Amino acid sequence: MAKPGVHRYTAYLFVLPFLLPFAVFSLWPLLYNVWLSLMDYFLAERITAWNGLANYVTLSESEWFAQGLKNSLLFLLVVPLMQAAALALALLVQQKLRGISFFRAVYYLPVIIAVSIAGVVWRYVFHYEGMLNGVLSFTGLWPGAAVDWLGEPKVALYATMLFSLWKNVGYYMVLYLAGLQAVPRALIDAAHLDGAGPWQRLRHVTLPTLRPVILLCTLLSTIGALKAFQEILVLTGGRSDTITLLMFVYSAAFRGQSFGVAAAAAVVMMVVCFVIAAAQFRLFGQKGIWGREV
Amino acid sequence: MGAEQITTSHDMPTQPPVVTAGSGNHNGSRNGSWRNRRWPAWLGLPVRYAGLIFFAAVTAFPFLWALSVGLSVDPSGIWQFPQAFWPQDPGWYWFGRVIHDMPFFTYLKNSLIMAGMTVVATLALAIPAGYALAQMEFAGRKLLFGVLLATLMVPMEVGIVPNFLTLSGLGWIDSYAAAVLPNIASAFGVFLMKQYFEELPGEVLEAARVDGASEWQVLWRIAVPMSWPAVGTLAIFTLVTAWNDYLWPAVVLYDRMKMPITVGIFNDLTGPFAVSTSLVMAAIMLAMLPVLACFAITQRLFLAGVMDTRA
Repeated sequence: MAKPGVHRYTAYLFVLPFLLPFAVFSLWPLLYNVWLSLMDYFLAERITAWNGLANYVTLSESEWFAQGLKNSLLFLLVVPLMQAAALALALLVQQKLRGISFFRAVYYLPVIIAVSIAGVVWRYVFHYEGMLNGVLSFTGLWPGAAVDWLGEPKVALYATMLFSLWKNVGYYMVLYLAGLQAVPRALIDAAHLDGAGPWQRLRHVTLPTLRPVILLCTLLSTIGALKAFQEILVLTGGRSDTITLLMFVYSAAFRGQSFGVAAAAAVVMMVVCFVIAAAQFRLFGQKGIWGREV
Repeated sequence: MGAEQITTSHDMPTQPPVVTAGSGNHNGSRNGSWRNRRWPAWLGLPVRYAGLIFFAAVTAFPFLWALSVGLSVDPSGIWQFPQAFWPQDPGWYWFGRVIHDMPFFTYLKNSLIMAGMTVVATLALAIPAGYALAQMEFAGRKLLFGVLLATLMVPMEVGIVPNFLTLSGLGWIDSYAAAVLPNIASAFGVFLMKQYFEELPGEVLEAARVDGASEWQVLWRIAVPMSWPAVGTLAIFTLVTAWNDYLWPAVVLYDRMKMPITVGIFNDLTGPFAVSTSLVMAAIMLAMLPVLACFAITQRLFLAGVMDTRA
């Protein structure tokens, strides 16, 4: 539907200023990663040398990479927990109670605090003398608890997962809350009239209506879990067996100066993301994850 | 809940007022159901608040502890579980030490400059692009749209190595520009603006075109003034995302005096200043202050439930 009086090229002039930085800093990196993953890169001399698939061979033989892959997949355990917690919080703050917007704001608070700032606080919370152990022993759940949550390789990854849950649950709570408010009141009232209890109403009315929101949140938190990295970087720096896929990319590039290997790992990550994106298109169709033609 | 209307009113059927929901012939039983519902609600009120307060405590305890530690001039009790949440010998001593020992205001200035540049540039790029996608037909429109969708699914962190090499190739490493540039082309911003511009009444825009306004004028004089809620939402979310950005500035900035709060404070607090927990927590509280103030004013936008803060 060309508008009268609109020049054919006007649209390009409108899009171009966005397109240039977008192409350079969002699209080019995807291609550059692929190219770089086939190269040896020498930063000081800025020269590259073709090395075939050597970087991928390095990856496949790397214990670190295997662990990163394993930990990134383990991180997916956060996804169901996140959905349950976010939905529970949304149901809790959906009630029309005095002061409810204060509680909504409090639950959302961790989302808007920078990961590095929140991370510093949680380093102290996870300290062996910290408040987490304090709560555990004070409440009698684990008397005398003195775990170094971030220093103990067996638990450190789970501690970072707990942090990730705490940091992001408010975000999904808001999405669920919006979804809950779209559940037709009449439907719930009808179920109520038919004698459905609160649990049945949730199970048979609310949850089925929430299906698109649940899918959206599951998808977003799956990507969120797979790309877990900044929380690791600020909490453990990758120590205590907490390295993840992207942590591996970062370490290989900026600690090991192996840009080619880092790029190869990034390509693996990209492939995983595109597989999920393809699944997303199948699930949500052309309308995209936001449920409508955005 | 007025804020929902701003950006999600198109998505959600308006919630009918409770009294008019359902048909009239159910009135008798409706009243019965209301009484049934109200009784447990009334009895359960303390339980509901207990639940709300419990989760609020779970969410906020790290910050409450940090605040209490920062305010405790005497640090001897900061590791004792319940007592630590109440300041010992309360005072501003550690906050003074932060201001004195750390270039806090330099970090603050850097955060302001970089976040400000990001917001202005993001809006300036996303608004025309979103408008073109919503209101114009051009070859490649579908392709561009698909590409934007696809890149939304790939975390920005995947690009850190290529972007670092690109910017070091340009010789811009360790500059504000390097920290800002990769963040200004926001695919999500374009989506948001496109979504809003599509809902604008076509007749108004058409009338302006018939009166001889160019598309550029229609955009800035008609479409944008009609879209302040969307523009405002995008601005606020870009501001918070840019303000909170940690990873990218940490990768490209080396000079401590150019670092934003998120990087400068993190480096200081996990490095030279880690020796004093009190000082660390006072600095954390100071760093949170601007975000908290902004959030207090604009929280309705955040709680409206449409925006993606991943950028």
